[in-house]
Amino acid sequence: MKWLALALVAVTALVAAVMVGPAGYSALESLRALAGRADPATVAIVRDLRVPRALLAFLVGGSLAVAGAALQALVRNPLADPYLLGLSGGAGLGAVGAIALHLGGAWALPACAFLGALLAVALVYRLALVTGSILDARVLLLGGVVVGAFAASLMAAIMVVSPAAELRNALLWLLGGFGNASWQAVLVFGAYAVLPLAALYLASRPLDLLTLGEEPARYLGADVERVKRLVYVAASLLTAAAVAVSGIIGFVGLVVPHAIRLLWGHLHRSLLPAAFLLGGTLLVAADALARTVIAPVELPVGVVTSLVGVPVFVLLVRRWTR
Amino acid sequence: MRFRLLGAMLALALPACGGRTTPSSGTSLDDVGHRIALTQPARRVVSLSPSTTELLFAIGAGPALVGRTRWCDYPPDAASVPSVGDGLDPNVELVVSRRPDLVVLYASAGNQSVIARLDALGIASASLKLDRLDDLPRATRLLGRLTGTSPRADSLAAWYQTRLDSARSARAAPVRRVALVVWDNPPIVIGAGSFLTEVVALAGARNVFDDVAQPSAPTGIETITARDPDMILLLGDSVPSLGRRPEWRSVRAVRERRVMPLKGSEFERPSFRVFDAIRSLRASLAAVAQR
Repeated sequence: MKWLALALVAVTALVAAVMVGPAGYSALESLRALAGRADPATVAIVRDLRVPRALLAFLVGGSLAVAGAALQALVRNPLADPYLLGLSGGAGLGAVGAIALHLGGAWALPACAFLGALLAVALVYRLALVTGSILDARVLLLGGVVVGAFAASLMAAIMVVSPAAELRNALLWLLGGFGNASWQAVLVFGAYAVLPLAALYLASRPLDLLTLGEEPARYLGADVERVKRLVYVAASLLTAAAVAVSGIIGFVGLVVPHAIRLLWGHLHRSLLPAAFLLGGTLLVAADALARTVIAPVELPVGVVTSLVGVPVFVLLVRRWTR
Repeated sequence: MRFRLLGAMLALALPACGGRTTPSSGTSLDDVGHRIALTQPARRVVSLSPSTTELLFAIGAGPALVGRTRWCDYPPDAASVPSVGDGLDPNVELVVSRRPDLVVLYASAGNQSVIARLDALGIASASLKLDRLDDLPRATRLLGRLTGTSPRADSLAAWYQTRLDSARSARAAPVRRVALVVWDNPPIVIGAGSFLTEVVALAGARNVFDDVAQPSAPTGIETITARDPDMILLLGDSVPSLGRRPEWRSVRAVRERRVMPLKGSEFERPSFRVFDAIRSLRASLAAVAQR
């Protein structure tokens, strides 16, 4: 029953997102265009811009929520979110580097952001292994903060030194948005995300055990080290790709897993798919708001998720502590 | 007209109530309402915006310039003036080390603390708002008074006003509709707050984003597609080729390759070169339309 409701809400959000937009067609006109019964210009706007944008927002929102849920279990810290582990700093550095070096080409900026994120992830991973062959969750957290701060400083230094006036636009890109959504982006991201999402889902049981603590998890038969590495790598790969296609979108990966835990319980077998659906739904709704609230001007979607996410988070915490 | 009259009355009234001004330059207020504390024409001027640097050279105050920003690239003579770095959030120590008696800034909220620090050091500052074509004559006359080049500045301002008025009255109904794109992801377009919207209008076209009040704002490709400009004008030099990005292919002007870069610093700021900008833009619009 819960699943049906959640799926229904997700589908409703997707359809609604396709029906609204700054172009000013009525909801009915948009649906007709979706079915191909409108003039070519309207059909193109609905089919080639709105539909891929809604799908990409859904996939990214779902991926961020799943990555956040898995990382919260891994480091056993409710404040963990997909960007905590230095990823956002690395991605920002990559994006700013691409613009400062005048790298042309349609995919230069996302590709550099992706590489920057992976570099930060690898560095944090290496730091966390410093105590030997054991991936230390505390060092992982600290390393993430430190590497993120380091990357952010490098980014600021480049922005001061570089003569490229366009760098301020890189900051706007970093705030998050789906301005570059296309069918191509949906297919690339969708095909890419399948593997890490499946890996995280298959790790549901050991993740349940991990939330009890590493020692108990080990006694209960989990291969703790292997699971930690798998979860860390899969969640990071997922987030790095999300950053590459849409910039840094906060709060979805932090708030959605907590909301699902409150509504659904703590078992990852249902927590992860439910987080995927709710995360996707929320980001689709946030993007629809970002596109339409002050049209023709568009808000960065990261601004909308934070504006909505913070009050929701406060409500959740109040309910939690009661 | 009423405003100009009011301005003239204020200018007449000010020395009367100020009482301590010298006849050579007079006490003036800048565009943020700050008193310009200068008792004689400035001999050493630091200009912290490319538009005022260009203006100072145009009115013959170039020899008095002892500092400029790293963005000041016109006229070519500006290159021989030492750079003090950025103009917004400037390095005050570097500015002061040029020993200026006047610092000219762009009027922005971020420069308030700079003005306060210059005040404390006893260095006069003038903040000028130079965003629109109409801002130019007032700024020219003011800088002329501050640098003792009033005759040339006033005649330049009068010449500019006459040409602008005649360009405006000769303006025909726009034939083509254009979008001015600054950046591709997120798409950032020029709005009515920028002088470029009027440049485009005087060249016989209409900016489809002239309902956006800001100088520039992020928008969506859906909005650009729906507003369906005949042509896209690209600003800046590192915007990647739009035609290679699949989502931009929804825009008719991109599909039909009616995308044209606007090169040249005359499109970056309002200046006396604006009439050249209008003429070259009109020619380019005609050329692209014939494709």
